[in-house]
Amino acid sequence: MAWTWFHRLGSPPYIYSLAARLTPWFAWPAAALILGGLYGGLVLAPPDYQQGDGFRIIYVHAPSAWMSLMVYMTMAISAGVGLIWRMKVAHAVAASCAPVGASFTVCALVTGSLWGQPMWGTYWEWDPRLTSELILLFLYLGYMGLRSAMEDVQRADRSSAVLAVVGIVNVPIIHYSVTWWNSLHQAPSVMKLARPAMPASMLIPLLMMLLGFTLFFVAVLLVRLRGEILSRERSASWIREAVST
Amino acid sequence: MHRSAAAAAPRRAGAGALAMTSALAAARLTLVRDLRLAFRKRGQLVQPLVFFAIVTTLFPLAISPELSRLRDVAPGVLWVAALLSSLLALEFLFRDDAHDGTLEQYALSGQSLTWLLFAKTVAHWLLTGLPLAVMAPLAGLSLGVPASAVPGIVVSVAVGSVALSLIGSVGAALTLGVKRSGALLSLLTLPLSMPVLIFGARATELSIKGGDFSAPLQLLGALAVLGVTLAPLATAAAVRINLE
Amino acid sequence: MSEFFDMGGYAAYVWPSYGLTLIVVVLNIVWARRLLTRSREEARRRLAMRGGGDT
Repeated sequence: MAWTWFHRLGSPPYIYSLAARLTPWFAWPAAALILGGLYGGLVLAPPDYQQGDGFRIIYVHAPSAWMSLMVYMTMAISAGVGLIWRMKVAHAVAASCAPVGASFTVCALVTGSLWGQPMWGTYWEWDPRLTSELILLFLYLGYMGLRSAMEDVQRADRSSAVLAVVGIVNVPIIHYSVTWWNSLHQAPSVMKLARPAMPASMLIPLLMMLLGFTLFFVAVLLVRLRGEILSRERSASWIREAVST
Repeated sequence: MHRSAAAAAPRRAGAGALAMTSALAAARLTLVRDLRLAFRKRGQLVQPLVFFAIVTTLFPLAISPELSRLRDVAPGVLWVAALLSSLLALEFLFRDDAHDGTLEQYALSGQSLTWLLFAKTVAHWLLTGLPLAVMAPLAGLSLGVPASAVPGIVVSVAVGSVALSLIGSVGAALTLGVKRSGALLSLLTLPLSMPVLIFGARATELSIKGGDFSAPLQLLGALAVLGVTLAPLATAAAVRINLE
Repeated sequence: MSEFFDMGGYAAYVWPSYGLTLIVVVLNIVWARRLLTRSREEARRRLAMRGGGDT
């Protein structure tokens, strides 16, 4: 059957051992890419003609901002899968995502504001990107708050899944409304990330960092996932083997 | 004592009559029942409105009594106050019915839970959103808003509060199983309400300046329509999860 | 070398950004490992409490 792979994905012992085996395959490439990206971004890339060396913050700010959004999408999609197919493993993935995403959202906010100080002359500007990022942090905090308020894991899983799905429907609306709001009140943002004319020596380290952070997220997710699966499987006999080593 | 006994009578009658009616008729019954119950507890009913009046009074005291300065911040003041007042009433949206088992009866009645909860949300809007839309211009006038802005404020608050009630119903349903849910409810609801705040305040600002506010009003309407189509489904799913 | 650390006068913004990101990355590794260790211990404790009896 073509669907067996899908059923196996729903099997906690299979996922537990698969996650353990896969983790190094994501962790080491992530480390290599991030170290390479750091060298390329801090040493090899030339200073920006406008922002000097200050632009190098992009190599940590952009991956953090990318993580905040990508992790939220992963969380909402797996929450939706968990709701629809009642898949325990999918709920465990969603639960593993939130703290990772929230921490990188904080990182994106702080690095964005550290970048803003030399570029705008102020640590905080109500720039659409930073504002959306702040609202995204609130969404993460709401998700984590709802989870921690519920003692029963299953109820927490399913309630927070509804919230995550409602949140992902709202993310584009929030982004659009914030951009619209901002365009009314001030001139377009000074800080433009996606300049098409970025030379390869600047762009390649950035892409390496983006890919490296993504792989890092997968590696962290796989480790967290094993913990979440263990705490959900109360009385399965396979756990004895899993924790005996 | 006397009052609570009287309140309990339509509660039971409402749930019992549901079994053999169509979805729309059942929703209408629920709506009528909720309105009737709400008018029995007038104290609770006016609380959000009093809250709204108090919050809008705080701003002149905190900023300045000059109407020219207040006029500039009036859209923000009105919308933040409306958002918080709508939130204040949300905690009671499903609470009593969850405690006395009415929600469980709804879930077991064979009727569409989505429609029944939508009816309850409509009742919430009729009891808080609509009165707020009437109160907002009064508060606006005290903040130096010209009389010509009144229609714009009424329409934008009326439409925007539809979306607020719907977003809030999802939050209220999600926090049903949580004790002392007030702070959590606002943490869940406020970030999702920010687009409504943005478009609503813009529509109000334009109507104060005498401009054409149809663009933000249409966006508010779009949010309300989106809310009507999606929020009741999420609310019903959340209520089911928390009843189990 | 000191030129590198000076970052063209932007050192006060560049290095804290990289430092914070490093902290966040390390914290994520630590949290993930701690979650796994704790749930392993928890599972062991549950199994021990059942006194070796299987499910």
